[in-house]
Amino acid sequence: MTYRLGIDIGGTFTDLVLLEEQTGNLFFGKTLTTYDNPANGILKGTTELLEKRGITASQVRNIVHGTTLVTNAVIERRGAKTGLITTKGFEDVLEIGRELRYDIYDIFLTVPEPLVPRNLRLGVAERIDFQGNIITPLDLPAVETQVDKLVAEGCQSIAVCFLQSFTNPTHERAVGDFIKQKYPNIYVSLSVDVMPEIREYERASATAMNAYVQPITDQYLSNLRDRLHALGFGGTIEIMISSGRLTTLDGARKTPIQLLESGPAGGTMAGVFYGKLTGIKDLLAFDMGGTTAKASMIFNLKPEITNQFEAARVMRFKKGSGLPVRIPVIDMIEIGAGGGSIAYVDKLGLLRVGPESAASEPGPACYGRGGTRPTVTDTDLVLGYLNPDYFLGGTMQLDLEAARTAIDQHIAKPLNISIEAAAMGVHRIVNENMANAARVHILEKGHDPRLYSMTAFGGAGPVHAFGVARLLGSPQVVVPVGSGVLSALGFLVSPVANESIRSYVCSMNTIDWQRLNGYLAEMEAEGLAFLEQAGVVDLPITIARVADMRYSGQGHEISVEIPDGVLLQNSALKIEENFKKEYHLRYGKLIEGIGIEAVTWRVVVSGPVPEVIPRQVVATSQNSEHALKGYRKVLLAGEPLASNVPVYGRYDLQVGDSFDGPAVIEEIECTFVVGTNATVRIDEFRNIVVEMH
Amino acid sequence: MTSQKYDPITLSILWARLLAIVDEAGTTLQRTSFSTVTRESNDFAVVLMDAQGRSIAQSSISVPSFLGVLPMLTQALLRDYFPLETWQDGDVVMTNDPWLCAGHKPDIGLVSPIFRQNNSSIGGEGGLVGFIGTIAHSPDMGGALWGAGARDLYEEGLMIPPTKLYEAGKPNQMLFNIIEANVRASRQTLGDIRAQVASNEQGIRSLSKMMDENNMADLEALSEQVIEASEKAMREALRKAPDGTYCYEYDADGDGLNEPVHIKCAITIKDDEIEVDYEGTSGAHSLAINAVKNYVYAYTAYPIKCAFSPDVPNNEGAFRPIKVKAPKGSLLNAQKPVPLGGRNITGNILHAPVFGALAQAVPLQVQADCGSACWCMVLNGQKDIVLQTPNGTEKAQTEFVEYFFLNGGYAARPHLDGVNVLSFPTNVANVPIEVLERDAPILVTEKSLRPNTGGAGKYRGGLGQTFAFKMVGKEPINFSILTEKTKTFPHGICGGENGGGGSFDIQPPRFLPPKGLTKLYEGELVTLNLPGGGGYGPKAERDAAAIANDEALGYIS
Repeated sequence: MTYRLGIDIGGTFTDLVLLEEQTGNLFFGKTLTTYDNPANGILKGTTELLEKRGITASQVRNIVHGTTLVTNAVIERRGAKTGLITTKGFEDVLEIGRELRYDIYDIFLTVPEPLVPRNLRLGVAERIDFQGNIITPLDLPAVETQVDKLVAEGCQSIAVCFLQSFTNPTHERAVGDFIKQKYPNIYVSLSVDVMPEIREYERASATAMNAYVQPITDQYLSNLRDRLHALGFGGTIEIMISSGRLTTLDGARKTPIQLLESGPAGGTMAGVFYGKLTGIKDLLAFDMGGTTAKASMIFNLKPEITNQFEAARVMRFKKGSGLPVRIPVIDMIEIGAGGGSIAYVDKLGLLRVGPESAASEPGPACYGRGGTRPTVTDTDLVLGYLNPDYFLGGTMQLDLEAARTAIDQHIAKPLNISIEAAAMGVHRIVNENMANAARVHILEKGHDPRLYSMTAFGGAGPVHAFGVARLLGSPQVVVPVGSGVLSALGFLVSPVANESIRSYVCSMNTIDWQRLNGYLAEMEAEGLAFLEQAGVVDLPITIARVADMRYSGQGHEISVEIPDGVLLQNSALKIEENFKKEYHLRYGKLIEGIGIEAVTWRVVVSGPVPEVIPRQVVATSQNSEHALKGYRKVLLAGEPLASNVPVYGRYDLQVGDSFDGPAVIEEIECTFVVGTNATVRIDEFRNIVVEMH
Repeated sequence: MTSQKYDPITLSILWARLLAIVDEAGTTLQRTSFSTVTRESNDFAVVLMDAQGRSIAQSSISVPSFLGVLPMLTQALLRDYFPLETWQDGDVVMTNDPWLCAGHKPDIGLVSPIFRQNNSSIGGEGGLVGFIGTIAHSPDMGGALWGAGARDLYEEGLMIPPTKLYEAGKPNQMLFNIIEANVRASRQTLGDIRAQVASNEQGIRSLSKMMDENNMADLEALSEQVIEASEKAMREALRKAPDGTYCYEYDADGDGLNEPVHIKCAITIKDDEIEVDYEGTSGAHSLAINAVKNYVYAYTAYPIKCAFSPDVPNNEGAFRPIKVKAPKGSLLNAQKPVPLGGRNITGNILHAPVFGALAQAVPLQVQADCGSACWCMVLNGQKDIVLQTPNGTEKAQTEFVEYFFLNGGYAARPHLDGVNVLSFPTNVANVPIEVLERDAPILVTEKSLRPNTGGAGKYRGGLGQTFAFKMVGKEPINFSILTEKTKTFPHGICGGENGGGGSFDIQPPRFLPPKGLTKLYEGELVTLNLPGGGGYGPKAERDAAAIANDEALGYIS
């Protein structure tokens, strides 16, 4: 037998999923994340899982890994001391940013400190114009002086970002070569490698961040590889990146900022996988954890990708309060509160939830760890959705009275309503707000929310999924098997791929087709070379070509597919047609008489998506009757009074079981609440599928 | 109409939905618009109003210029132009009258009625239930290039009194034709007007859906409750401030040569109301920097809102306790036919005297002066392009109108330093250098922080910036320039020192107006030095570690 192993390091747990390739059997493992050196946790979890199954490390053919290491390094400012070399006169671009406030009314706002402080940002004379002509040649002696200074200051890593460099990389390359030669131990990030796109601040920001996290990522990944080898593992290692694709170890070490959203991307890719299994092509992946709820759209089994991303926001829910990183990222929006989010009555007398969170310490009031303010989890308990005796499989007792007291004091009394009404109020507000945000997100892409089914995961996701799906008009809700280790599973079903980018701003009637074909060919060759290096030999290899386009004069681009093969003057018509189709889909109308232009061109070369057909371990008992654990009082949305609702244990449900809602289905990591007018069935893979009537 | 009252939970849900609806419509407008000012600088607003024209919800990212403007416009339309019974489903009324709208002609307001079908299951008679309006800065309105260069109102281009752009869904082709014939970049301008119409339509659709889902016959009950809650919150915040009259005097550049501007303001807080009186302020200015009443109200109410209730959503209620007075015909209550184009320069400094006066009452709720107003530059001319045709390449020329903006340092706050280079009170992003150099024939030679420009204090003001560029085109181009605080300084507050003032320069040396229209010639190098923010609190109280850090980073020398 041979195996593949997915490993996801999250904030609290390190999750493992082991796939037996010949049978499709999946085995799950979970261990605490070892914060000081996350590799320790990986080794421990891997060893335990392999031993339990009697498997040797040499039988593992491939490991796919994702981690929060890069994100945390940026948030906690634990990256390397980093220097930045810029065009002389533009050293402060990284600090000045776009000059915008992210909150109009908060005069006490703060902005994120730049990752490279002013004294480590040094300029050298050089200049390239927007057409790529060299206006001022690179002052090489100045390069030496400035690099020497940065090294003397103790910089371990150096970023280089020159103006207009994406039109002509010569100067950046020369600086890169110089540093490599004189200081082979210093890490170098060139903007033309990290993000060769127009807009100098965003490019500098991404490049500086890449340089900042490169040493720590490189050391971590090298160490991990060595230790896995020492265990007897001799296969390939791939790394999950933010776009839902896999890269090689070298790819990750070279551009570590690609790892920023690797865990969440795994979740969405698992959503794609379950979409395939259940035959549902358009899905909203809904993940609700302790502090936030996130959603991403999967259309026709493809995740939506964006390149608008920010790391380390000062204010979690405020767009623009973080550091921009224009890399391809699965388009995931924060749609609302999490289980630990605190509910309160504001000065307008309105009931509000979050963004403040009780986190894990002190946690919700019902955790009994000193929290006194009501959270979403507290209201879920009071409404009967959660079982105080079976939280995390019964390993943690919940304190119902503490939850009631918190709700009474902070919500019911101030609003002069009953505790139950207050709890239902919080539940409704949380669901309404999430449904609102999800609806707007889907509508913005020009799609109909009522055609999107939902797949729910995360600790609090299944508790709220039904209510949110009802508000959105979703036809189905799926709570998949393995929802507790979903990201790690997603790693195993993602393709190895490379995305290359060129900025070439041109309108449809000024495109130099020879130049464009040259770029496209280069990017395709880069992608194919990458797959070859990654050892991808299986077919099919797919090549997707996309242009970011707009009407000339607009500031916002949309991604448009462009035709295959060598492009000629008449390709412009096809490209324009694709643009108009996509534009119309999003905005409902076209604009007459204005030319169309492309800004950035992208080529994604992907290997095949690994075929995984899971054969889930059978139910723990062979008799469905064992699944019905009993009944409990549950207050469902829209009902005046609590009613007795059947409670099922997920592990005893059999393939083919079917029953009508309302129902509560309990498993260790989460509880799934199903309302009325819905039918629950257990599919052949033991996913719970709910048809909404 | 109804005596229904929503419970606090339903109210919370519906209110959040209203805010989502206006924000959603705003996002669409921003993403499809051509005007740099609209899309990069949030210079637009979407407002939902009830049948009386009272605002219920305003898009959250709008710049302050539009606070309260659309409801004032809609109420004026109902009163003086289109009485309630004359509106039909599918109407869109348009105007750019600065006195009805936002104080200069490029700001176009569009108001659409919201109709509901008669629905017996809900009760209610159907008919007009409210209005949705958008206001946005159009790429061009004809006349002199936008800025402070026009000598009177008529040089500032086309004025469109309130007119139906669509009547019962039918476009007014004549109006479209007139606009097209009068403006630069006409397709973009018309494209933006259509984007505003689309944004109104989207808002109406979303609102109808919400009303259907929640069995709402009209908006009256919701409107009453939303307005009442906001008003109450604003009044409570005002009541906590000590009663009294607080005065402040403020000098600004005016034309930056020999016609300065003086602003005098007296703020009276009495119980739960606040009144700002600008009696004693300069008269009308000969340059186009005069501001109309609506606009002055918006930029006066804005700092008050920041100080007292920053987190209360914008609607009628939040503004009821705020009154603003300015002498008729003065700089701050301009009358026809004075020119208004660069009125933002004036609006953008009003926060300073308002905060300055409020500092005497609520010193922990205010900030010092910023390195504002935002400096505005417009470049206009012809540039060469290469067209690809079936017969090979062909040289051609195309007109460009390129706006770009520069911000100074942000003010120091009661417990925070100012941020270096940040927009206030407007919220205008810079145009990326790499984009600017593509769109206009210039080469940028410097963009850097200006050390020593942050006003000293217990908390230091943010630094201003230097921005320099060279004109590299063969043919001369038109250049509209708007600078501020080159003769005056951003004020420190509560004992803090003034921020460093601005300056500018052209090489080879010649006269460049601080505000106005000029030409730029090949090889000329323009350097713009923007002011820093004012300091807060006495310099002697500054933390030694903060000083050491400023020195290490070269913020001070």
